Amino acid sequence: MGNLLLFVVLHTPGVVFRQIAEGNTRIIGSVQKLTFLLILLPPVFSFIGSTLFGWRLGAADPLYFDSTARVIISFFYADALILGYISTALIARWMSKTYGGGKVPTASLFAFFTVVLAPICIASAAHIFPHIFFNVLVLIPTIIWSMTLLYRGLPVVMNIPPERGMLMSSSLVGWLLVAFVSLLGLSAALWTYGIGPSIGV
Amino acid sequence: MKYHGVTLHRKLENNIGLLIFGILFISSIGGLVQVLPSIFQESLKTATENSHLYSAVELTGRDVYIREGCHVCHSQQIRPLLAEVERYGPYSRADEFVYDRPFMWGSKRTGPDLHRIGGKYSDDWHRVHLIDPRSVINNSIMPAYPWLAEWEATDLGDIQKKMSVLRILGHPYTDEEIAAAPEEIAGLSQLDALIIYLQVLGTGLAEEYR
Amino acid sequence: MISDGREIYHDGVVKRLIQFSIIWAVVGMVVGVWLAAQLIWPGLDFGQFWLTFGRIRPLHTNGIIFGFGVSALMATAFYSVQRTSNVPLFMPRLAWICCYGWQVLVLLGGISLLAGWTSTKEYAELEWPFDIVITILWVCFAVVFFGTIATRRIRSIYVSNWFYGALIIVIAMLHIVNNLALPVSINKSYSLFPGAQDAIVQWWYGHNAVGFLLTGGFLGMLYYFLPKQSGQPIWSYRLSVISFWAFTYTYIWAGPHHLHYNSIPEWVQSLAMVMSLILLAPSWATMINGIMTVSKAWRKLSVDPALKFIVLALAFYGLATFEGPMMAIRSVNIVSHFTDWTIGHVHSGALGWNAMITYGTFYYMVPHMMGRELYSVRLANIHFWLALAGTMLYILAMWGAGVSQGLLWLSIDDIGELSYSFNDVMAAMVPYYALRLVAGLIFLAGTVLMAYNLFRTMYGRHTVAVSPPLIIDELQGTVYKEEPREPSSGNAQEVPA
Repeated sequence: MGNLLLFVVLHTPGVVFRQIAEGNTRIIGSVQKLTFLLILLPPVFSFIGSTLFGWRLGAADPLYFDSTARVIISFFYADALILGYISTALIARWMSKTYGGGKVPTASLFAFFTVVLAPICIASAAHIFPHIFFNVLVLIPTIIWSMTLLYRGLPVVMNIPPERGMLMSSSLVGWLLVAFVSLLGLSAALWTYGIGPSIGV
Repeated sequence: MKYHGVTLHRKLENNIGLLIFGILFISSIGGLVQVLPSIFQESLKTATENSHLYSAVELTGRDVYIREGCHVCHSQQIRPLLAEVERYGPYSRADEFVYDRPFMWGSKRTGPDLHRIGGKYSDDWHRVHLIDPRSVINNSIMPAYPWLAEWEATDLGDIQKKMSVLRILGHPYTDEEIAAAPEEIAGLSQLDALIIYLQVLGTGLAEEYR
Repeated sequence: MISDGREIYHDGVVKRLIQFSIIWAVVGMVVGVWLAAQLIWPGLDFGQFWLTFGRIRPLHTNGIIFGFGVSALMATAFYSVQRTSNVPLFMPRLAWICCYGWQVLVLLGGISLLAGWTSTKEYAELEWPFDIVITILWVCFAVVFFGTIATRRIRSIYVSNWFYGALIIVIAMLHIVNNLALPVSINKSYSLFPGAQDAIVQWWYGHNAVGFLLTGGFLGMLYYFLPKQSGQPIWSYRLSVISFWAFTYTYIWAGPHHLHYNSIPEWVQSLAMVMSLILLAPSWATMINGIMTVSKAWRKLSVDPALKFIVLALAFYGLATFEGPMMAIRSVNIVSHFTDWTIGHVHSGALGWNAMITYGTFYYMVPHMMGRELYSVRLANIHFWLALAGTMLYILAMWGAGVSQGLLWLSIDDIGELSYSFNDVMAAMVPYYALRLVAGLIFLAGTVLMAYNLFRTMYGRHTVAVSPPLIIDELQGTVYKEEPREPSSGNAQEVPA
């Protein structure tokens, strides 16, 4: 069932969006179960990758970490993703009144963002080979994919006109950009405090 | 009374003179509290044993460095971080820069920091590198500066006038130094002057701080 | 008072400034793309001394900031100050002098940069003769702008004018102090401030040039054109009052965060860091004000390409004003300083915020002033997607490059030795620089499309005049037009709609 649903999510997201909009609790529940699988993929892939190949930042030698550092990094990564996922759904709920979204159940919003973020989570398989530029190249088309899902799906799920959906999606993109750059900033700060790769500060 | 703040603001937005004054007043507080004290802080402008007064040739080389925009890609500021001290040398101190007008700290390292480049490479290395960077470092993206070898150091403006102006600003050049300056740079190319400047960079730091 | 709608406002100078602004945008971005290419193929200076990276990089920044940016700001300030004051420009001849004087300044200044005349101070590279001309022209700008406000027929000074006013006043103060120098010859001067003090003064200027010109000035644009375009009053008047004064007070302190861990007193750095973090509040207050205003105008979105640019500009404004304070935190700055992350941050503001909001404004202003429909809405929509794609790619490339650079430079191995040579790190940058070049080309392509579209709108023969400029209508509905009323709600001050 889970595998089939994943296929549906990726292949015909429009169907899933409509189901979510209609409040199909069975679908919403299944999608939510899928969330746990999807959100754990990036940290797991990252752990495997840093063990097998080390971080490859384009310079001659890869950066290897001891197992404690790898676990800590993956742990923080998972935390950040879960936090980002939950906060995005909650912010969408908070925003919905402004954009005429009315009362959309929070469960539906969580399900919606699972569908939106599914391509990125799956493409995180690129972390298995943690060459950063390779990851950037994989990330670009998946970001476009996810953004398309966001812009097209949001008005359906929120049951609002496409124009209002566009405005709300853009606000959410602003939020997601901020969330992503926070991840970068947080990483840099953690490195400075001695967590993660060893840097001479 | 409920809109007290708004009523107060109504005065400002109905009177252009008041608005201009308000903006000027509010925006200058930061400068007065933060920047002005720094301008009066003696330790940021007083020469110590770490300060190096540039000679006529070095000053000319520095002006070549400025004209070509070397500071766009090279910083001259080593932060007190382990990796940075290991890579570039002892960290930069404020008193090393009291004769730097303008400052050359930079904001971007497209190329490496140059604050302690002095003495690290030979004059010949610099000469080859500046004329054709990729003959020494094969993936360098630095522009080549072959023409500097042909341009005369004396073409870079009146060196005596430069030193006199700097003397007004507090650089202790003597009359003799200023009188001898044209002779010192005569016959040198701009490349020579630039290399002499690069070789003195960061070497003024007293032994005890190394 | 209004006999002939076409005569009352001086829009000729506005139109000319827009044209110059568009030309500088294209020129500045072409130079930018060229610089990006030089970082991959250094031979692109063709052995010409005046085409080397060190000389044309200031040409790019000055061309964009002073050519594209200031021309656009002058155009929109002249346009909006007449309408929000309900009078024609004060001393219109002086406005024309401002317009042409500024273009000559940018042109000759650009040539002087290629010739190697430079004071080296970032965004203030022009040497002292140009600094004096800038000061004179800036005073002219101030006379026209404040003169128009002083002769206004509407009692209240509208929000956008506070921001334009702050732009004029604060930039004047910064420009004069930062460029204090003793001249040696026509093309050479020595700064009045030595070393560390020079650095502090420069970044007080540099950061606030970004603050009051690229942020504050363009917020003035937002506060006038967003309500006009969306047909909605600003969401909260009180929020705009609070954010304006908080912004004006706080921004000025943040400069020394460009000098974290440099040879300046630590208290100056810490103070700058704290004030940078506080700065997030007024910045985002303005963003929320904008987002809430535009959220009510969704019906216009499908017919108005201009509004889309503003929506996106607000999103990137939010990003840039968050990223800035974050990078001002000392422990983050250790990694980000001196890297391409800074370049990426600047461009999330410059492309995502400044360029986008200017594009949106131009797409609104040009058809309105010409009394014609936009030549092609379809091209404008294509431009929108090119601008979005270019900006996103640019930021992504520079995030990747900057974070890698910062980490690799600082990396040490088990015995405490450096893991990578500088050369290793430089080699790792090549793919990012290539990606950045592509991003720049995409963004430039969009700008060229806009230039074509707008010039066709201005000069095209096949466009149909839809209506004369709705000048009389624009004077209606002003709250303070007749009798000033006490505000009854948060939305006290409406833009003349």
